[in-house]
Amino acid sequence: MKFPVLRVYTVIYLIFLYAPIVLLPVFAFNSSKVIAFPLESFSTRWFAEMLTDDLLFRAAKATLIIAVSSSILATCLGVLAARASTRFRFPGKGGVMGLIMLPMILPDIIVAMSLLVVLLAIGINLSLLTVILGHVLICTPFSVAILTSAFQSLDNSLEEAAYDLGETPLSTFRLVILPLVMPGIVSSLLICFTISIDEYVIASFLGGNQTVLSVYIFGQFRFPAKVPAMLALGTILVALSIALLTIAEYFRRRGIAKTGAKDTGGFL
Amino acid sequence: MTFSDEKPTMIEFKDVQKYYGDYHALRGITATIKAGEFFSLLGPSGCGKTTLLRTIAGFEGISSGAVLIDGKSMAEVPANLRPTNMVFQSYAIFPHLTVEQNVGFGLRKDPRSAEEKQKAVDEALGMVGLKGYGKRAAHALSGGQRQRVALARALILKPKVLLLDEPLSALDKKIREQMQMELIKLQREVGITFVLVTHDQEEALVMSDRIAVMFEGEIAQLADPETLYRKPANRKVAEFIGTMNFLPATIVAEDAGKITVDAEGFGRIAIDATQVSRANPGDGPSVGFRPETLTLLFDGQTASDQESNATVSEVVYYGDMTYYDVKLAGSDTPLRLSMRNTPGRPVLDIGAPTRVAWSAGAMVLFR
Repeated sequence: MKFPVLRVYTVIYLIFLYAPIVLLPVFAFNSSKVIAFPLESFSTRWFAEMLTDDLLFRAAKATLIIAVSSSILATCLGVLAARASTRFRFPGKGGVMGLIMLPMILPDIIVAMSLLVVLLAIGINLSLLTVILGHVLICTPFSVAILTSAFQSLDNSLEEAAYDLGETPLSTFRLVILPLVMPGIVSSLLICFTISIDEYVIASFLGGNQTVLSVYIFGQFRFPAKVPAMLALGTILVALSIALLTIAEYFRRRGIAKTGAKDTGGFL
Repeated sequence: MTFSDEKPTMIEFKDVQKYYGDYHALRGITATIKAGEFFSLLGPSGCGKTTLLRTIAGFEGISSGAVLIDGKSMAEVPANLRPTNMVFQSYAIFPHLTVEQNVGFGLRKDPRSAEEKQKAVDEALGMVGLKGYGKRAAHALSGGQRQRVALARALILKPKVLLLDEPLSALDKKIREQMQMELIKLQREVGITFVLVTHDQEEALVMSDRIAVMFEGEIAQLADPETLYRKPANRKVAEFIGTMNFLPATIVAEDAGKITVDAEGFGRIAIDATQVSRANPGDGPSVGFRPETLTLLFDGQTASDQESNATVSEVVYYGDMTYYDVKLAGSDTPLRLSMRNTPGRPVLDIGAPTRVAWSAGAMVLFR
């Protein structure tokens, strides 16, 4: 029999990708302070220790505020840009859309540095607000990409039918367009939320004395004694991500079933 | 199928011009559509028929000229305030709503009570034969049913004009023919002016009181179906509507009321001066006639008017009809003729000698 090269490659690839994540809960529930095999015994002490950490709660709260605000803001901007790019033709459209999408490939460090210089120069204090500003900047391109495909799949005559039946452009948007692009909006919110949560560079540059979760976790890794508690936190974050994506996928499939469209795979 | 001229005008086009950049889409359209009329805009794709329909709906602005509905200029009236409703080619059924939410969509700002609106929706659904379908999801309907929902949704608002943009082109043949009949009945019932866009000449002939045949942004002929078929204004219209045979001819004599031509295979034909249409620019004169105006003569039959000898060159059997291509003696041009297949009548073979009966009264001279 031929050696199944591709099959073995695929298995190795997946192990490389996911083994570290699987190790997270393994060590989080291990009673030993040392992150190494053999395991000692099952314990939830690191979770308990994590819960006593006041700084962690403040960082988590800051992260949540930033992620929620920037995903909502970026998605709003994304709706406007996607609508403009799919519905209208205007001079310089290619250039404008290109500039909107640019932060997607621009290194975050450059965005962070330049924003920091500008903010300091015009005398704005670093706070959650400045982090939100940076995150909106890097999230918007993703939102535009997701929503453009949602708007593109809309039949133009649906909009015309609504005008024809007496609705204004605004009420047409509310009654017809918005419900039909809702799955795209939910996807956009989730992607932006995820991007914002694990973003490090901008958060550490523009956060001032406000520490967010990613910066906090990185900081804690300097103290070996704190590492098991961070693994416990990581375990919770992984569980939350899986829950979030499951919910999103559920709503996406329900939306597709409701409008009778063909399931083209989504982002999952 | 004549249409009374006394009916008031519903839509009026006054020298309507439309440019898309350099492209001249509508080239001086002047026409009137009468109230209560079933009017069709017929033409090949790209002839401007849909653009013209969309200027009535208000989805398309015009570069110059005027569109009037019921005597009022529509220049400043946006689509949502026009007394027109449209049935779209894609039906444009809102996929996130139920059938009755779709049908009642236009009633949102209607001051009537919820019960009265529900009654109106049920009535509209009944009118299009979808009683009891109200609670269904719109996306779960078949093509024909969507079509009916689109109709009900437009008619519930009692528009002055119903615009139909190729509404039947996505349906298969059987359902299409059934819907044609239903649309005709519906139009008679509600008495609303229908304006239909179609590229299907048969559909236009079947359904319309009057038809505007369009080519390249212009109306080539505006007439009732019979006139279009019997006396097309020019060769292009003649070729677009149904099948027509053309034989090159030379004009021999021209009297007050008659034009005598010499047509290959037929010999001398005296054509009435009222039966003259325009040839394509640069072409010589030709006589044209429909397949059913030529008749094969079987043994013992004689022509009531004229007859010529011919040979069968092609046979196409359709069940109810047989289409023959015949070549007249002394001519190499195959002529298409159609014969009803009555019991006892044989279907001829290729190469069989035969005689054809014809009449000058059924011929059109293109010059």
